Amino acid sequence: MSVVGSVVGFMIQTLAVSSIYILVAIGLSITLGTLKFVNFAHAAMYLAGVYIGLGIALELQFSGDIARSIGLGNVGLDLGFLAALAIIPIITFGLGLLMERFVARPFYDRPDTDQILVTFGILLIVQELIRAFVGGRSLTFSRPAWAEGAISLGPLGTYASWRLAIIGITSVLVLAVYLYIEYTDVGLAVRAGTEDTEMVNLLGVRATRPFLVIFGVGSGLAGAAGVVGGPVFSVVPEVGVGVLVPAFLVVVVGGVGSIVGSVVGGLLIGAVEVGLVMNAPTWSSVGIYALAAVVLLVRPAGLMGAVEVDE
Amino acid sequence: MSEQTEAATPGESADASGLLDRWDGLRERESFSIAGAIAFVVVFPMIFTNLPAYNGYMSLVELIYIWAIFAIGFDLLLGYTGLLSFGHAVFWGGSAYAAGLFSANVSGEPLLIVLVAMVTAIVLALIIGILSLRRGGIYFAILTLAFGQMMYFIALGPLGGITGGEDGFTGVTVDPLLGALELGTGFAGVLGTLLHDIGYVLFAGFFVLAVAAAVRIVRSPYGAIFQAIAENEQRVRFLGLNVWRYKLAAFVISGAFAGVAGGLHTIHAQYVAVGSLFWITSGDIVIITVLGGIGSIFGPVTGTIAFLYVENIVSGEIAFWLLVLGALFVTVVWLFPAGIWGIVTGIRSTVREQLLGDDS
Amino acid sequence: MAENDTQSRRDVLKTAGAAGTVGLAGLAGCLEGGNGNGNGNGNGNGGDGGSEYPALGNYPIEGDAATLGFNVPQTGPYQEEGADELRAYELAADHLNNGGGWVDLWDDLSGDGVNGYEIDYETGDTATDADTARESASRMIERDNAIMYSGGSSSATAIAQQGLAQQENVLFMCCLTHSNDTTGGDCVRYGFREMFNAYMTGQALAPIVTEEYGDDLEFYQLYADYTWGQTQQASMRQFFEEAGWSEVDSVPTPLGTDDYSTFLQEAVDSGADVLFLNHYGLDGSNSVSQAVDQGINEDMEIVVPLYNVPMAAGAGGSIEGVFGTDGWDANLDNEPTRVFAEAFEEEYGSTPSSPARLAYSATMQYAAAVERAGTFYPPEVIRELEGYEWDNGGIGEEIMRECDHQTMRDILVVRGLSEEEQDAESGRYWEVVEQASYPDAVGYECDSGPAAECELGEYGDE
Repeated sequence: MSVVGSVVGFMIQTLAVSSIYILVAIGLSITLGTLKFVNFAHAAMYLAGVYIGLGIALELQFSGDIARSIGLGNVGLDLGFLAALAIIPIITFGLGLLMERFVARPFYDRPDTDQILVTFGILLIVQELIRAFVGGRSLTFSRPAWAEGAISLGPLGTYASWRLAIIGITSVLVLAVYLYIEYTDVGLAVRAGTEDTEMVNLLGVRATRPFLVIFGVGSGLAGAAGVVGGPVFSVVPEVGVGVLVPAFLVVVVGGVGSIVGSVVGGLLIGAVEVGLVMNAPTWSSVGIYALAAVVLLVRPAGLMGAVEVDE
Repeated sequence: MSEQTEAATPGESADASGLLDRWDGLRERESFSIAGAIAFVVVFPMIFTNLPAYNGYMSLVELIYIWAIFAIGFDLLLGYTGLLSFGHAVFWGGSAYAAGLFSANVSGEPLLIVLVAMVTAIVLALIIGILSLRRGGIYFAILTLAFGQMMYFIALGPLGGITGGEDGFTGVTVDPLLGALELGTGFAGVLGTLLHDIGYVLFAGFFVLAVAAAVRIVRSPYGAIFQAIAENEQRVRFLGLNVWRYKLAAFVISGAFAGVAGGLHTIHAQYVAVGSLFWITSGDIVIITVLGGIGSIFGPVTGTIAFLYVENIVSGEIAFWLLVLGALFVTVVWLFPAGIWGIVTGIRSTVREQLLGDDS
Repeated sequence: MAENDTQSRRDVLKTAGAAGTVGLAGLAGCLEGGNGNGNGNGNGNGGDGGSEYPALGNYPIEGDAATLGFNVPQTGPYQEEGADELRAYELAADHLNNGGGWVDLWDDLSGDGVNGYEIDYETGDTATDADTARESASRMIERDNAIMYSGGSSSATAIAQQGLAQQENVLFMCCLTHSNDTTGGDCVRYGFREMFNAYMTGQALAPIVTEEYGDDLEFYQLYADYTWGQTQQASMRQFFEEAGWSEVDSVPTPLGTDDYSTFLQEAVDSGADVLFLNHYGLDGSNSVSQAVDQGINEDMEIVVPLYNVPMAAGAGGSIEGVFGTDGWDANLDNEPTRVFAEAFEEEYGSTPSSPARLAYSATMQYAAAVERAGTFYPPEVIRELEGYEWDNGGIGEEIMRECDHQTMRDILVVRGLSEEEQDAESGRYWEVVEQASYPDAVGYECDSGPAAECELGEYGDE
């Protein structure tokens, strides 16, 4: 294979691997940057995206212990993948608003240790609720028919079309949110919040509309990540934590409160992972943690970050 | 533990308050906690293996002691110093592997195994502590999590040849204690009733030691500074003390407890699983400690009993046991930061106030 | 101080726990902390004649029901195999108590319980994880007093469980475990395996695959990074290199990997002719379907050395033309196969897979050995199983070897059918190319292959 082909292959792999991490990381990063809220329960939005998305796109089997004891069967709208991709962000946006109101807000003024504990607990509850109702078995989230099979890019190699689809969908979503934050007053408030925590705290504007909206947008993206990631990662209750941990690393590497940071961080994490799989497969999972640790120690604010939280 | 006083009738309330004072004086003594721990390891198995609803079994009693040592150490960090580590599996699992490898290649003497485990954990805690404590707050949590996961994947992949990777480490060999006392040797007579066998004495003994050590640390000037850091780090800094150094000390001490527990677990299971390094183990110890109640010695012990009982016994009846524990956990964080133990002591002081209230 | 050498710690502790109860009631005098005289604490051992043997592991059984533990992966990468195994275990327990299935075929079995005891069972979920499996097994032994437990799928879980079995003197009947180590370096006296292993797969597959695809080819391997995958890829290398092929590279992938695309891309870029996917369960379905999705089958031939029906069903049309091995097929033409498949279908409405047959067979083998021994006393049951030969398990003549507790038996070499030819109704996803038979095509001596590394350990009554 040509050198160009190898480079393109590497880039496509990296982009595909990074996509889902980036989608999840953006919400984490924004809430951490503006609201100073540490949200492990963010992964619950990914779970909502996967499981509700599966129910919308195809069919969701309820085979957990509780579901069986109350005779809950299968629920499926069978509307297809694109419908799920359109509906899920709206649902998770709403769930995000609820989470802000009932979980985050009571904890804004409590120590971040408490924030971590309570959101970790809520993630655990959501995960176990899924296990109790849907079951712990790995479900199949089929790719849509239009994205099956491989596409040949001539001398650049042959790629699974699903990978290219993921990259396309992620690019559109990230770009849209970027423009939204960059060019609206919501974005203005967010940037003000990220750059001047002190003032935001003094004015007590954390509970105002722009911040609510931003919490919802982050949740919507994580939900979309669930739909996009469903056919790639296992559909199991633990997958929430499975994507949360790398997403945290992305935030740490890229820097808090910045969409560009999340994208850069995500690409770097993806590139390290893919590069190691190609050259030293046994080290592939070690590398991203080492990268995050090094960045955090050498450049605490992250590569693109302007602020540090709670130091 | 204050049954006598609570049983006092209102008519004797003058006496009761005198008794209470004496009782409090007794409770304040360090030896009281140690005596309590000894009484506990004698009585607990009898109660636990004969519970009315779901019975416990002896091996679970020993596991409770082992995890309780881990939890007590974790609480010295979280409850007393206010640092939340999400990577404590490193010390538990790292020391468990060290213990396993040592037993397979050097010596199967249980005390030496535990020593090696503890030293390994201390070294790991020094390295990770020096690196992680440069950052505070959530960064500390994420850094410890990152180091923890890094160690997990190193043990799983690159070091798979030594650790057994996914299969776990199966070569553990445990020799008799001090070269003569087989762990399975039972006692006869009353000793047998109370102390069961050598293995039980080993695990229960380390549990009592851990309680004693923790009480000593908490009551030392060092412990006072740990608590001051948790309450107000700034103030401690103004006093001219090196906060960082004390945090590192707390981290290493906490790691040492985890190391002892990890080593004991290797002796108990005669197997080391790579899952011992996984973040779920770190999450479990967080849940156990917070659930039981942070900032006390007996809180984490209570949490351990509750968690292991539900995980191993109740799980046979209720499949969604983790959901129940998760809900309990969130309730505790949200409403009862002092945990189950805090609720127990809360009830105790309420009862007491009422007793004394009759006085006036 | 009372001494005891032959007993596991748990016996002592159990007795001590009971002693504790009495102690509570008034510290009644001098109690023995262990050992004692076998049925000293027994409570009426039905037809077992509890006085014959000393207490060992969970023997003697208390009450009139013998509890078996069925410890399978209900979640994780091997959940489909586990689900089918569990169905078969429950069917086996039912047949042992009420007759039906092989109970009616085998002379040793009565259909009225086993050796005078009713069969009861507890189930567990190993989550396809060695540690979880071990903890679950430990609960079955300690909490449920299981007299025997069985399971597998993931050799890592099987090896962890049989290690515990040896420690606790409770028998473990391996179900699905294909690693060479299970009856090689990690073999134990208290574990038995009917499943064949990676070494035998290599023996069966190499001649047929090299004949089909030609000489002097280069192959590339991906393997699941744990005991099974490791020994599997080693055996493939050994037998295919002996047959004249050469290996380009062999790359480990973590158990439970979701996304194989980067690994697969590397495989294509290597320029090798054949790709061995040493993955199993959902991992196997994923890796083979992702390989086909990425268009790899256009550049390379794909071989999935260890197959089964749930995997093939998961991979669908992706397995067209793909070679592999399996231990049994519900469409084989013999009486035990028909009887089992019919009973299974009647109960569950689906065709049993080969892991299901292993689960069923393991339970039946154990029960029959108990009947022959006339006791549940583990060392006696072990001696009955050792060297036992049978031909009523649906796959010809089999022998449970005494030297390594590995069954010597036939293996099916199969080749995947196209999506149109597949028939889910009858569980037909492949054609059987050959039944590689023991000792002509597969098998090895007690001093060679994996068996050379096996030391079984003690019976527990020495």
